Amino acid sequence: MDNSLQYLEIGFYGSAIILILVGLYGALMKKSLIKIVIGLSIIDAGLHLLMISIGYIKNGTAPIFSGEDFVVAGNMVDPVVQALVLTAIVIGFGVTAVALSLVIRLYRHHGTLKIDEIKNLKW
Amino acid sequence: MKKVIVLLLLAAFGYYLAATFFYIDFGISHFTNGVRDYYLAHTVNGLSVANTVTSIVVSFRGFDTLGEVTVLFLAASALGSILYKRRHKYEERVVLFPSSRIVQAGSKLLFPAIILLGVYVFIHGHLSPGGGFQGGTIIATGFLLMLLAYQDYHVSHNILSIVESMAGILFVTFGLLGFIGGGTFLENFLPVGELGDLFSGGVVPIIYILVGFKVGAELTGVIYTVLNEKDI
Amino acid sequence: MVGSPVLFIAIPLLAAFIIPLLGMIWKESVRILPGLVLVYLLTLSINLLGYVLDNGPIIEIIAGWTPPWGINLVFSAFSGFLVTLMLFLGLLVWIYSYRFKRNVDFEPAKKYFILLMMLITGSVGIVLTGDIFNQFVFIEIVGISAYALTAFYTGRDSAEASFKYLIMGSLSAGFLLLAIVILYSQLGTLNMADIARNIHTVKPVYKITALIFFIVGLGIEAEMFPLNGWAPDVYSQAPGPVGAAFAGIVVKSGVYAIIRIVYTIFDIEGAFDFLVIIGLITLLFAETAAIKQIRMKRMLAYSSIGQMGLVLVAFGIGTEAGVFAALFLMFNHAIIKSLLFYAGSYLVFNSKEKYINDVSGLGKSMPITSFLFALGAFAIVGLPPFAGFWSKLYFLIAAADSGMIMIIALILIVSIVEIVYYFRVVNKIYFSKKEAHVVPQRPTFNALFSMIVLGLIVIIIGFFPDLITGILHDASRDLMDKTDYINNVLSITH
Repeated sequence: MDNSLQYLEIGFYGSAIILILVGLYGALMKKSLIKIVIGLSIIDAGLHLLMISIGYIKNGTAPIFSGEDFVVAGNMVDPVVQALVLTAIVIGFGVTAVALSLVIRLYRHHGTLKIDEIKNLKW
Repeated sequence: MKKVIVLLLLAAFGYYLAATFFYIDFGISHFTNGVRDYYLAHTVNGLSVANTVTSIVVSFRGFDTLGEVTVLFLAASALGSILYKRRHKYEERVVLFPSSRIVQAGSKLLFPAIILLGVYVFIHGHLSPGGGFQGGTIIATGFLLMLLAYQDYHVSHNILSIVESMAGILFVTFGLLGFIGGGTFLENFLPVGELGDLFSGGVVPIIYILVGFKVGAELTGVIYTVLNEKDI
Repeated sequence: MVGSPVLFIAIPLLAAFIIPLLGMIWKESVRILPGLVLVYLLTLSINLLGYVLDNGPIIEIIAGWTPPWGINLVFSAFSGFLVTLMLFLGLLVWIYSYRFKRNVDFEPAKKYFILLMMLITGSVGIVLTGDIFNQFVFIEIVGISAYALTAFYTGRDSAEASFKYLIMGSLSAGFLLLAIVILYSQLGTLNMADIARNIHTVKPVYKITALIFFIVGLGIEAEMFPLNGWAPDVYSQAPGPVGAAFAGIVVKSGVYAIIRIVYTIFDIEGAFDFLVIIGLITLLFAETAAIKQIRMKRMLAYSSIGQMGLVLVAFGIGTEAGVFAALFLMFNHAIIKSLLFYAGSYLVFNSKEKYINDVSGLGKSMPITSFLFALGAFAIVGLPPFAGFWSKLYFLIAAADSGMIMIIALILIVSIVEIVYYFRVVNKIYFSKKEAHVVPQRPTFNALFSMIVLGLIVIIIGFFPDLITGILHDASRDLMDKTDYINNVLSITH
């Protein structure tokens, strides 16, 4: 394995894992409901980056056949993970929308976004 | 104290993830008999779809896309149910900073162009990067721009709901037509045409256009519902 | 063949998209259409189940691509039995909630029935699908409907319970995605049968990591310890019929997903011991918590968690007798817990805090509901001659055959705890003085109908367990036969 690829690997996997950890920290430790939702979105972003980097191929091209003779290249990056990420992004959007609407409901009910002050149920 | 424990746990988890993933080969094809090569070969020969991601999303794993569209539909329904209030009067939205004339005039100018771009993206989803989800999102950003610029801009909930439902019904109907015409759900029962033509890929572009309409209507509906939230 | 498994997904989706349009013209249709769909699907699934028991599993491919390239649905004796059970319970939930609260407006009612139908469809999809990523999509469909249904009542603390559920749900979905990515990066396929065929080529470290992430990701739906923190809040805040739907339908699909992963996809022996241990912890934790509860639905929720622990222990035994007992337990839990939720909801209908004390003395003013609740309580603790007795008996036999004497002792002790807290409630209903402020609520005809149907099933299965054991034997044989599953799926042609 040559050096540039190794740096790329550290860059992609490393930043994806750091994003996941940052998101987890936000979701677990932050006191504001909005920040918790943002944390969940950051976890999703990290996961998507991780998935995309699994499919990376050195000097690969986008998995789209184009040009004059529609070159059938064996050097295309993995299209499957890209399709999976497309699905995962849409699902993540749906969950985030529902989460934010719940936050609006909680704010309407309690008049605050602090998680410490919304504790009618045991956490 | 809690912070330290959580940080330690996160560090351990991060190390574990890193140790797992750094040993997965990076930048080379991992497997010899995976589904990837089959997809790359058959998107040209079997389907005549230039964009492999589109052919996976709409045909090979089309069932996922149906589920995905359903997730969006459910999110829109869930929003309506969670934020429901009796006495739903359509008042003016509360706006902290009204948009200036320049923004208003500019939005009017940009709005048709954004819609056109969105339509272009989802019509050419099988030929170029893009597709129904991307195009639908672009259309929704057009509506978002108008909603932000004009305080009294209204989108009819009924029309959105009709577009959304019709697109969904047609999606499932095309699936069932494939069931009748070809024997399996969502099967491609139309001629696939020539690779690279606008009319190629059989049902793939039709379904992606329907997805575009549905996603555009749903995202606009979600934005509109949340923007009309008062007493915040 | 009378129909195709893909209709279980396509028809409800079509109906869900039609309902908003039809609702503009004819308002009552939003309540009626889901019921018609469920009736049709139930008859379809009974027909298909009959066909499958005679002719072997039906593998349905989608979009004309055979496995492992396309997505496939598997309707075998095992999954078909669960689908039929879920649709039957779903139909009863629909009947029960048809006129549950009279003062609900049109808009929320429309959303309620759409979301309820999609909750059932998503659970059916989890059971039928033969593709791990497709399963993830269905889990998210179930998740979003469940969050919205939990937060349905605006008056209670339901948004808080739902938010809690949502955070746990989306964290676990992240783990699921990680597990899927790890398996894909090793094998390059997402089809369950294809993964199962090639899993022995994967290095153990990836196998174990993927398994752990799968179990964390799916454990939340299956109420596995320690991922079940959401359950008591959600059950106590959600509308009564929705609680029954969670206990009867959603949790079943979560357990199915875990079992499919452990039994079919992975070939790790230790996973079975893990199921036994985690099941026992879940059971002990839940039953000790249940005895401390002062609120009706929280007590039922903890009891539900405990039962799922028991099911996991039974699956962890790993023999065919164990699987048979586990399936019987699942069947009984679905029927009896639904009955308890239905009857319990009406017992505390007009009480604001839903305390157990509020049911005192209701035996006279609500005779049928009280009787059905008592019936459910007797059945779930395993008293003969009710349905719960047989499943516990088969479970103990299966455990004894595998030489797990300690486990038998533990289960019997836990059963005593169960008896204590259920009989406390029954005792209150019949032998305490009525609380002055409690107004009894007459059940609607629909609710009464669905409760009586469940009560009859409890009694009939109690006297004639042979009615169900035949199907259960076929289903457990089907689950145990892993090579058959792989061959059936991968040999299908278009």
